[in-house]
Amino acid sequence: MANEQDEFLRATMGAVDLVYNLSRRLTDRRQDAEDLVQDTFLQAFRAWTDHRRPKKVEPWLATICLNLARSRYRSRARRPSEVPFEEWMVEGRSSADPESRAVQVIEREQLYRAMRELPEEQRVAITLVDLSGFSTYEAAEAMGTPRGTVLSRLHRGRRALARLLGDRIEEVIR
Amino acid sequence: MMLWAWRGFRRRPHDPERNAAEYVTGELSRRATRWFEAHLLHCEDCWREVLLGRLGRRVAEEAREQASAGLRDRVRAAVQFTSEGGPAGPSEPSSS
Repeated sequence: MANEQDEFLRATMGAVDLVYNLSRRLTDRRQDAEDLVQDTFLQAFRAWTDHRRPKKVEPWLATICLNLARSRYRSRARRPSEVPFEEWMVEGRSSADPESRAVQVIEREQLYRAMRELPEEQRVAITLVDLSGFSTYEAAEAMGTPRGTVLSRLHRGRRALARLLGDRIEEVIR
Repeated sequence: MMLWAWRGFRRRPHDPERNAAEYVTGELSRRATRWFEAHLLHCEDCWREVLLGRLGRRVAEEAREQASAGLRDRVRAAVQFTSEGGPAGPSEPSSS
């Protein structure tokens, strides 16, 4: 069992950020997200010890996380957001290209509100593809939907987030 | 080149949302990318969708977070505990 445990941790711990980002988009509070991360890894470990092992751990963990969120956390995730804003604050990153500069002018508050206001399917598609680096094929498998649906959700979500930039878009176009 | 692009535009199915999503995600083949980039010069709808898609992706990337060291330790400990015969049930959802 200790060997299995080590093997499991070696194979999966690199995906903690991925599962955490996904969990953050599926729950209202940081604490709930952390609980969901733990549950995802425990369920994955049980499957691992039953010799149900994936070819690739990231989509496998994402699928477990999504299924757990759907079955256990969904009603919480749908509640109107009353999350203290600090819960969603992270450090911004600085870069110099025009798009990044335009993005940096967005108020952090606006960014997190916009993410939370996206329909869950769009939020998940964006989290898997843009935040976690999944292909749309992998995201489709994890979400259990056709790839065309993922592309559509992804694009609509991106478009909604881009609207945050408002007039700044004109500056970037020039 | 422009004639080729125009012919391509006429031949290919025209779905600005889907094309833009695939292009921005980097999932078009090299050939399809060449076609699409030429097509963008003539198609206002696709140009606009690509612009919005790229900006939206950049905005989304700003929301990326790192799990804390504490959470990593907690996951490791939970797996270890389960592995040593502790109860494998899910964590109790925390109360509001």
